[in-house]
Amino acid sequence: MTEPESRDELRAHFEEFARTRSDALRDHLVNAHLGLAEYLARRFANRGEPLDDLIQVASIGLVKAVDRFDPERPVEFSTYATHTIVGELKRHFRDKGWAVRAPRRLQELYLRLGQVVADLSQELGRSPTVTELAAEMQASEEEVLEAMEAGQAYRFASLDAPAPGPDDEGSSTLASQLGEDDLAMAAAEDRAALSPLLASLPPRERRILFLRFFQGLTQSEIATQLGISQMHVSRLLARSLSQLRAVAAER
Amino acid sequence: MTLLPDTDEVTLSLPAGPEFVRLARVTATGLASRLGFSWDEIEDLRLAVDELCHAVIGPSGRDGVIRLRYLVEPGGLCVEGRGYFDPGGPPVGLGELGHQILTALVDEHDVRDEDGQPVVWFRKKAAAPRGTDDGA
Repeated sequence: MTEPESRDELRAHFEEFARTRSDALRDHLVNAHLGLAEYLARRFANRGEPLDDLIQVASIGLVKAVDRFDPERPVEFSTYATHTIVGELKRHFRDKGWAVRAPRRLQELYLRLGQVVADLSQELGRSPTVTELAAEMQASEEEVLEAMEAGQAYRFASLDAPAPGPDDEGSSTLASQLGEDDLAMAAAEDRAALSPLLASLPPRERRILFLRFFQGLTQSEIATQLGISQMHVSRLLARSLSQLRAVAAER
Repeated sequence: MTLLPDTDEVTLSLPAGPEFVRLARVTATGLASRLGFSWDEIEDLRLAVDELCHAVIGPSGRDGVIRLRYLVEPGGLCVEGRGYFDPGGPPVGLGELGHQILTALVDEHDVRDEDGQPVVWFRKKAAAPRGTDDGA
């Protein structure tokens, strides 16, 4: 985290960014205002969407605001960004409005599936097939695949919720399971690889992305390494990629 | 359970909007499950289908249709997405990151432009097809 900057310093940075469009400066300006994004995201909490997702949506709004802000205009960045971020959050809820909620039965199947995937992987020493999972769960293959798809639904994916899985200990959350040292190292690796686009992701998501797409680890291997369930890795990857596409589209 | 014949092809035509990508995924996972893909491989396949579809339709969709062909091959699956859009839309395709992602997820992939329409395909093989050799 960077030191808080004065209003004048920030304005100078925005003016420089307007001239240079420097990626490093862009990252810096985004990072300097993540608190605002989180603050606004919290105002939309308790509406059925996990807070962590809302913070990511707000972060997308923040990136857009940084890109579009014109320091020549007599308006503070925080005012401008608040409009953009709130707009992004509202759009998120509107877009989600049509989404079919997974039936309770599928949700339950999905939650059980995480455990069964972990158990069977352990037992077999490899990733199980859908046939094997269906047999173990006494469900049809279609139900297993539907449950997999249902798991993609946002409402299951909150980093602040207890991580489902065999390694879950009471109130431990994913956030608390990830070591700060790991994150710092991963952040360095990422900067080397693809900094501008990945800067919009939280460090833990960057790390998972790096391990999967640059180090070639499987989802199960990443899950083991980070001490979380494979299902959680799967959701985080899908969500991160979706966010990256949204950010890339804005550039 | 038996493998599908090598020549099987499934075709899916969808409105080119992000809300329909789910159907492209479900079709792919249904086929992959029958081909004996492992859970990890199916997870990768889902992400790859997402990448492919978004490379064709762009992040927020296009007016038009995306046509997906799923070719069932021995021990693997080939998926091709082709856009049918009005000319003059925004350019789409895979960025550097998209290529990197597909390289990690599938065995082969390619993007090309045919008559001004985006075409993206990939091939993914099951590392070790299982649950399919009972009747062999």
